[in-house]
Amino acid sequence: MVSSIPVIRIRDTLLSAIQGDLSDRVAEAFQGDLLSRLERTGASGVLLDISALDIVDTYVARVLVETAQMARLMGAHTVLVGMRPEVAATLITMGQVLTGIDTALNVDDGLALLALPRR
Amino acid sequence: MRSESQPDYMRRLKLDADELANRRRFFGITQEDLERLGALRPVAERHMTSIIAGFYDLLLEHPRTREFLGDPQLVNRLQRAQQSYFLGLFDGRCDLAYVEDRLRVGHVHERVGLPLKWYLGAYNRYLQLSAAALRKELPLAEAQLAEASLQRLVFFDLALAVDTYVAAQIETVARHRAAVDELSTPVIRVFDRVLLLPLVGTIDSARAQGIMETVLKRVSDQEAKVMIIDIAGVAVVDTQVADHLLRATAAVRLLGASTILTGISPQVARTVVELGVDISAMHTRSRLADGIELALSLLGRKITAAAS
Amino acid sequence: MIVLETCALPIDSEDDVVRVRTRVRDLAQRLGFDAFAVAAISTAASELTRNAWVHGHGGTATVEEVEEGGRHGVRLQFHDAGPGIADLPRVLKGGFSTRRSLGLGLSGTRRLVDDFEIESQCGVGTHIVVAKWARFGART
Repeated sequence: MVSSIPVIRIRDTLLSAIQGDLSDRVAEAFQGDLLSRLERTGASGVLLDISALDIVDTYVARVLVETAQMARLMGAHTVLVGMRPEVAATLITMGQVLTGIDTALNVDDGLALLALPRR
Repeated sequence: MRSESQPDYMRRLKLDADELANRRRFFGITQEDLERLGALRPVAERHMTSIIAGFYDLLLEHPRTREFLGDPQLVNRLQRAQQSYFLGLFDGRCDLAYVEDRLRVGHVHERVGLPLKWYLGAYNRYLQLSAAALRKELPLAEAQLAEASLQRLVFFDLALAVDTYVAAQIETVARHRAAVDELSTPVIRVFDRVLLLPLVGTIDSARAQGIMETVLKRVSDQEAKVMIIDIAGVAVVDTQVADHLLRATAAVRLLGASTILTGISPQVARTVVELGVDISAMHTRSRLADGIELALSLLGRKITAAAS
Repeated sequence: MIVLETCALPIDSEDDVVRVRTRVRDLAQRLGFDAFAVAAISTAASELTRNAWVHGHGGTATVEEVEEGGRHGVRLQFHDAGPGIADLPRVLKGGFSTRRSLGLGLSGTRRLVDDFEIESQCGVGTHIVVAKWARFGART
């Protein structure tokens, strides 16, 4: 299945603005889409913009973290961008700290983070 | 007298056609009651002046209520308003427009600060005076029926008055709470994209939640990259407080910003280590000045001495 | 507590996770919940609906507007006739890792809401009731 979430390539980075009510199925399909784009393009960075998401539950959080881990195995650095304050508070309250994924306030900061020398 | 700033009590109290029907049923107000009162309007008009005068006698002879009515001009104005209120009872209707009118009366009294107890006591006097007038004019059986109808409508009005008082109180509490919340979490912008929150006093769970929410909102609104939390003024730092600070730090990280904890005294450092709290994920400094320098270095800037 | 409005939604597909939480979010916003409270109760709805679907093989979600002492709230009830939860205390403590929820589902959800009750019987099913209240003075 192909998710309806567009993935845009800018130079060496894949950018995706995740929109709307993310269902489990769409989240999983998106993961597949993104990884195959990564394989085709050989991009070294991934920006996941989640500023449009008003609900991120533990399932979606897990898909995001796993996507970042999978991308890392394929040689790309993932940054989660634009999480809303209420989403951050909810995840922390649930004990979900999203270890293993980098974060940035906005796409600008995310690009700057990707441009830093790799750790 | 219509107050410009009158809140929309109709909406807030959900006073729609359904609710009105419910209340009328509950207070037992029938069409018959309304027609009976409507037919008595001429009687009401004849006795209005003396009833309202008697009503104000009560308010003016009692020292606690007199202080609300110090200004004779105000009394004059209120008496006129009171006349239209009184005649309203004999309009023979009890619809949404009537309700809105009654809420306005409650609102005006709440605004001048008249305590609810005096308001209720005055209503009682109202009923007594009206009953006396009705008995003068009507055969006893008829007067009793009219009194009962009037009583139902007056109780209906009272419920509306109490509702406006309660709604106004809730509003006041909420406003105070917002003010206290704001004071307890004074976030200051110290530099471009650097915020500072000096915490003072005691941090319990409720306040910690408020702190986290305010910090996240401000970081997001101002796109801050560094949030400095100074805890020099926090009375007690125990495992709970350390846990709250760790959570706030973790949440700030999810937004894409860093937290620096400053104002760590030797006692706090000792407590944290002895309690075995892992704060290795946090940037910490003893002095606020060092924290600000660290914040700038995280932004790739630094403070240098001016060339002399 | 007075129930002002109630709406039962079936949970019989994965899409119901989105359907239920959207409904809850709209109700919470209508009751004047702030953004943090809206996110908390909607996310709780998402977790519990998924829980009923994945572990309880479906059931119903009841979304209710309630009032108590002048405060308005959202109450959610989840019924399923699944296998039930064998080790309830351990699941509620957290860290009980099942494949689809990282083990944070129930214990995390509990911290998002003001009231939380759970009844589960092996072989019979699970019933969970949660509620979140508008802050005092929230506009409704």
